[in-house]
Amino acid sequence: MKKSITLTTSLTTDLAGDEPSVNRLTPALARLFEVIKSLGYTLVGFTLLTGLWFLISKITEGGLPTPVATFQVFWELVKDPFYDYGPNDKGIGLQLISSLGRVSLGFLLGSLFAIPVGVLMGANTFCKKVFYPIVQILKPVSPLAWFPIGLVAFESASMATIFIIFITSLWPTLINTAFGVASIPDDHKNVAKAFGFSKWKYLTKVLIPFSLPHIITGLRLSIGVAWLVIVAGEMLSGGIGIGFFVWDSWNALSLEKVISAILIIGLVGLLLDRGFSFVEKKVTYSI
Amino acid sequence: MSYLKIENMEIAFQSMKGKFVAVKDINLDIEKGQIVSIIGHSGCGKSTIMNSIAGMTFPTKGRVILNGGEIKGPGPDRGIVFQNYSLLPWLTVYENIFQAVDAALRDLSKAEKKETVERYLRMVNLFDHREKYPKQISGGMKQRVAIARAFAIDPDVLLLDEPFGALDALTKAALHIELLKLWNLTQRSKTIVMVTHDIEEAIFLSDRIVVMNNGPAATIREIEEVHLPRPRNKKDTVNQPEYIAIRERLLSLLIEKVSIDEKDFYKEEAAA
Repeated sequence: MKKSITLTTSLTTDLAGDEPSVNRLTPALARLFEVIKSLGYTLVGFTLLTGLWFLISKITEGGLPTPVATFQVFWELVKDPFYDYGPNDKGIGLQLISSLGRVSLGFLLGSLFAIPVGVLMGANTFCKKVFYPIVQILKPVSPLAWFPIGLVAFESASMATIFIIFITSLWPTLINTAFGVASIPDDHKNVAKAFGFSKWKYLTKVLIPFSLPHIITGLRLSIGVAWLVIVAGEMLSGGIGIGFFVWDSWNALSLEKVISAILIIGLVGLLLDRGFSFVEKKVTYSI
Repeated sequence: MSYLKIENMEIAFQSMKGKFVAVKDINLDIEKGQIVSIIGHSGCGKSTIMNSIAGMTFPTKGRVILNGGEIKGPGPDRGIVFQNYSLLPWLTVYENIFQAVDAALRDLSKAEKKETVERYLRMVNLFDHREKYPKQISGGMKQRVAIARAFAIDPDVLLLDEPFGALDALTKAALHIELLKLWNLTQRSKTIVMVTHDIEEAIFLSDRIVVMNNGPAATIREIEEVHLPRPRNKKDTVNQPEYIAIRERLLSLLIEKVSIDEKDFYKEEAAA
């Protein structure tokens, strides 16, 4: 697509008999150069890491698998991600989809609960005084501690995993939403007061637009932690999922698979974070 | 009985150190269609008086009566232009005015609301900029939006809290004319109360100027009548003897020491 556009422009300029427009290309070239440069830095970093990895696997004499052996296994995994040979042998793609599904559901339910409560806490001093101590006590607890309660409540390991993701997703969203709503400037509130905004108008035209960037930041932090917790959660729950896959690989004594899974988990986490940071930039208005 | 009346008003706030009296013994009568300025140093309670008319703060003693009824809270019969424009940054120029009109004039149909907003946008020459966001327009334009918003809800009283304080002299002069134009277009029926610390601005715009004492517990020091003929024109008005006389009077009321002498320089040197 891009190529054809450059081609037509260069054709038209040639036809018009103008000098080739070198200057017009320069910003694009400069951007390309920047991208190549940052890719270069990334490459240097990973080369160093791989070098260290290689060194350690040499020193431990195969206690840690070598990078080459690992990448072979990695390639095997991603080559056919969606095979399904029964309950204990599924492709990495299926495992990922299962984990992402649980994270999404737990995160969605958590956000649906946390955003309204956060709004209440930010807007109303009474609600803040009632809920804040609860948040302070429950926030530092590892979400895995809720797993047994999930098991009792839902009598299903899969549901219990979704439950701990739900709990995980609450706190950052709750705290950021409450902070965003509480920091609405008096100026904006006075406009609403002076012109007699209804509750609904205040909510949709002042409160939500102002707090949205904070809410999205909360969601971004929540999904980050949720993705951290799902691995541990699925190690407990078993069955299917990327966390179970890591544990299963360890039981099969394949550290190559474990390391491959670590890389994949990292990449997916990065993508999730980038997605939310993109939305964050979209909704941030500048004054 | 006058149109807007402040009776023996005292406004005090509870602070950490106890009761803080912002203003006291305020008595003020304003006729319908008058432009009145409240002038004084920072912290003399100008804005406090303004807020009591707006219904944002309430007197601890006395009362504020508008059109025969005591003020109980904010209402669409009073339009406010805030000190720092107070436009909502996520709404366009059009939306900023529309949301105010939509909230304040509930009986209008959607088409009438749209028509009202567009009419006032044209009055302040911002119709072409209606789709822009506040960050994309200059300070003077933002203040014009704020003024248009206050006028568009068709209030009986307009409250202007240091409306031109943040603007440069040229923009300020242009906006003074703009304000008087809007006032004329509404048959001079709207009462305008304005807080300012700009003496020239107060004289040029007002029928009466309320000079405040310094706070805390500020009181009204004096009320100056301005009888300059309307319509007023910047160039001619400033040369009229009455203008000059009032300016001198206000300067001496507000600024204790109007000149510096040689000794001040020596003192500063010694201190340095």
